[in-house]
Amino acid sequence: MPAVLQRLKKASLQTLKSLEVIAPMLLAIVGLVGIFETYITPEMIHTLFSGKVINDTLVGTGAGAISVGQPFLSYIISGELLQEGVSKYAVTAFILSFVTLGVIQLPLEFSIFGARFTLIRNILSFIFALLIAYLTTQTLQLLQGIFS
Amino acid sequence: MSEKKQAKSKSGIIMLVVVTLIYALLYYNDAQKSTTSLLASLKVLEMIAPILLVVFFLMALLNTFVDEKSIAKHLGEDSGFKGWVIALFGGILSHGPGYIWYPMLQELRNKGALDGLIVAFLYARSIKLPWLPLMISYFGVSFTIVLSVYVLLGAFVQGIITSKLVK
Repeated sequence: MPAVLQRLKKASLQTLKSLEVIAPMLLAIVGLVGIFETYITPEMIHTLFSGKVINDTLVGTGAGAISVGQPFLSYIISGELLQEGVSKYAVTAFILSFVTLGVIQLPLEFSIFGARFTLIRNILSFIFALLIAYLTTQTLQLLQGIFS
Repeated sequence: MSEKKQAKSKSGIIMLVVVTLIYALLYYNDAQKSTTSLLASLKVLEMIAPILLVVFFLMALLNTFVDEKSIAKHLGEDSGFKGWVIALFGGILSHGPGYIWYPMLQELRNKGALDGLIVAFLYARSIKLPWLPLMISYFGVSFTIVLSVYVLLGAFVQGIITSKLVK
């Protein structure tokens, strides 16, 4: 067997082994995703918002972190929230944390990357959801002022 | 198996047992709803299976052809601008939920990729190319562009902060 193929075989076995190690955790997380999808409904998320901007932005970030699903779900919920009068700050923070923060995948992240990395990444994602929500809304208002 | 790996697979099995117990409790409480949850999980599994296969192939190729020296060059201390470009665009192009990419990213870390670049990759993943048209139709072109630019910038800044913190 050529050396390259032999290396490929060895690497494939090695990869299979490392996936085998995380398989139970991955299955557990997928199981949790199913539970969250069924038990945390968009209606529940709607009731969390109060109309106060700062409060809603924090709530949006938290709600995004506990929600699971395809990104388009966050757009649909956000579109409705905007129509209900929830601020753009809150909605943007929700869209961002929906994909960058995940409470249910924390155990997996922790077991693969270790505590320090997981902590740093999640704290940064949280802060940046708020920061980018603020900057995006402000920039859009500024642009609107210039072009109207 | 190394001690660390053993601990990993042990915590995974404990977690799986806990989730199974939760399902049993939910089934006892409301059989129909818990079945819906299980079906939803199976759907997620169906969705991530092909992506997992891609990740598996990438990892196998990575372990065969890419040695620590070239990782260090492209994603390590001396990677510079190129490292950031790879991390940010890799993040934008990677499909599916982030957690499927964790094993591969850890492999890269083990081989010497910078933590900051991994963080930037994971944050850039919030720009979802296939969903951009839908985002535009919901929130408009200017919102989508402004948000995407800030996400890229944010991913970069978070990467820098992480690099400083782990040093």
